[in-house]
Amino acid sequence: MKFAKLIRRNLFRNKLRTILTMLLLAVIFFFVATLLAILDNFESFSNAGEGANRLVVQSAISLANLLPYAHEQKIRAIPGVVDTAKLQWIGAYYKEKSNFFANFAVDVDKFPTVFDDYKVSPQDLAAFQADRRGALVGTDLMKRFNWKVGDRITLKRQIFPFDPELTIRGTYFHPVQTTSVFFPMEYFQQSIGNQGQVGTFWVKVRDPKQMAAISQQIDAMFKNSDYPTETFTEKEFQQNFMSMMGNVKLLFTAVSTCAIFMVVLLAAITMSMSARERVTEIAVLKAIGFEQRLVLAIMLTEFILLTAIGGAIGSYGAHFLFMSFDAGKATQGFLQNLGVHAKTLAICMTTAVGVGLIAGGFPALRASNLRVVDGLRRVV
Amino acid sequence: MDTLVDINNVRKVYKRDAFEVPVLNGVTLAVPRGDFLALMGPSGSGKTTLLNLMAGIDRPTGGSIFVDGKEISRFSETQLASWRSRHVGFIFQMYNLIPVLNAFENVELPLLLTKLSKKERREHVQAALGIVGLGDRSLHYPRQLSGGQEQRVAIARAIVTDPTLLVADEPTGDLDAKNAQETLDLLQRLNHDFAKTIVMVTHDPKAAQHAKRTLHLEKGLLVEGRYGAETAANA
Repeated sequence: MKFAKLIRRNLFRNKLRTILTMLLLAVIFFFVATLLAILDNFESFSNAGEGANRLVVQSAISLANLLPYAHEQKIRAIPGVVDTAKLQWIGAYYKEKSNFFANFAVDVDKFPTVFDDYKVSPQDLAAFQADRRGALVGTDLMKRFNWKVGDRITLKRQIFPFDPELTIRGTYFHPVQTTSVFFPMEYFQQSIGNQGQVGTFWVKVRDPKQMAAISQQIDAMFKNSDYPTETFTEKEFQQNFMSMMGNVKLLFTAVSTCAIFMVVLLAAITMSMSARERVTEIAVLKAIGFEQRLVLAIMLTEFILLTAIGGAIGSYGAHFLFMSFDAGKATQGFLQNLGVHAKTLAICMTTAVGVGLIAGGFPALRASNLRVVDGLRRVV
Repeated sequence: MDTLVDINNVRKVYKRDAFEVPVLNGVTLAVPRGDFLALMGPSGSGKTTLLNLMAGIDRPTGGSIFVDGKEISRFSETQLASWRSRHVGFIFQMYNLIPVLNAFENVELPLLLTKLSKKERREHVQAALGIVGLGDRSLHYPRQLSGGQEQRVAIARAIVTDPTLLVADEPTGDLDAKNAQETLDLLQRLNHDFAKTIVMVTHDPKAAQHAKRTLHLEKGLLVEGRYGAETAANA
C-alpha cells in the first residue's frame, strides 16, 4: 500500500504517547482475555458431560446430604435407563492444599458403561478394577505432578475422616475433564464405616429424548420418601455447582464491559489529541489532492492499528503466559487448564478493532471533513 | 494572450456566527498562461481568499472561476480534490512539510495520488529536488533542514506533478533576506525557464518586483497595479 509509510510514521510520531497508549490497551486486553478465559474454563466445565446422556441424582435438600444405596436399584429399573453408578466427591488434596483437584469414589465396575466418554485402555481399566486401592488419573494431572502408572499417592482429608492411599493403575483421557482422580467406592465406604449412603447417582440413559421424562420419573418416585431427590442433566448439575460461586458470568461480563468502555474513552482522548495536532498537515494533504475518504481511511487505519497492536500484545500475552504457567497450581486447583483459546483471541482482536473504530471514528471523520482553508488558518 | 485563470465578478462572504463578513466584492481578473502575478494589499483585503479561490481550496459566494477552460467554481469537493492534485501546486508561508517524512517522501506525496510506478515516482522526485538544488538532501527530515531549504522542498513538492498553476501564499514571509532572495529567484526561474504560471500573495514590495506584474487589493476590490487596471478592464 502506497500510504503504509505515512500511516506508520504518523502512528509513531509521538513514540512515548503511542507506546503508553499501546501498553494501556495491552494491560486492559490482558485483563479482558484473562476474564474471558476464566469464563471459558467455567463454560467448558459446565459442558463437560454434553452428549453423554447422563443424569445426576442428588438429595433434594442439598448436595451435602447423602442418599441411601437402596435408591439405585429402583432408578436402574426405570425403562430407558442403561445403567447407574454411585459417585462421591471426596474433596481431598495432594500433599499441600494448593494441590487441589477433583477426586471421586466411584463404582469401578460401572465406570466403563456410565462414563463411556472417558477413554481408558483395556489394560488400565482391568488393573484399576482389580485393585481396591487403585486410582484412575486424568492425563493432565499425571503430567502436572509428573506421576507414572504404579506410583503410590496419598491424598489428605478435608471432608471425610480418611486419607485415601492409592496406587495409580491407569490413566484416562477426556476432552475437558483431564485433571480428576477416580478410586473405588468400596474402599471409600470401608474407610468411613460403610454407611450405605452416597452423594450422587449417575444415570446413563439410552435415548437423550427420554432424559427429561426419566428425570421427572426419578424425582416423583422418591418425592414422599425420607430421602427425596432432585435430578439434573449433567450440564445442569455442573452449572448448579458453578452457580454456588454466584453469578460469575454476569460479574465478569460487567467488569469486562467497564474495562472496554474505559479503554474506548482513553483511546478517544489520545486519538483526538493526535488528530488535533495534525490539523494543518491534514489541510495540506487535502490541498494537494487527498480526497476526504482517503484522509478518513488513512487516519482510521492508523487508529485501528494502534488499538489492534495494543489488543494483540495484551490478549496474545495472556495466551502465551497461560500456556507456560500452571494456573491450576496458582489457584489451588480452582482453575485447571486455563487457556486463552482461539475464540477468545478472536473476540479480543475484534473488540480491539472495534475500539479503534469507535474511539477513532469521530476524530478521523472530523479531520477528513476539515475545510482546507480552515486547517491552513489554524494555529495549533 | 491565452488566459489560464479567468475570474468573473467573484464575491466571497464569510459567515462568523450571526455576522456576514464580505471579503471579495466582485473581483474580475484574468491571468494569462505563463504569467507571474503578485497580489498585494493590506491584511484583510482578500488577497489570500482570492488565491484560495483560484486554487480550488475555497468556493466563491458568487461569480465564476475558470481555470484552463474549466469552471472550477461548479466542481464538487471530490472533483476539486482530484483537479487540484493534477493542476495546482501549493507553496505556503510556513512550508507545511509533513515532519514525519523526509524531503524525498514529502515531495513524493502528491505523486502517490497518481498511477505512476515506484520507479517513475522516484525519477520525478529526483528531478524536482534537482531543480530546487536539494538533490543531496533527499533523506533529510524537515527538522534537519534550514528554513530556506524547507521552502525549496515545498516548492519541489509543488512542481513535482508538473501542475498548470503554482500558487504561493507569502512564500518568503518566514525567511531571512538571503533565503527569501533565493526562493524568489527560484520562482522566477520556474516561470521563465519552465513557463510555469505563478500567482503569489505577498506583503513585500521587493518580492513583488520579481513578478511580471502586480495587482493590489483593498477592501475586496482590485484597485491598481502596474498592469492591474488594464488587466481588470480587459477581463
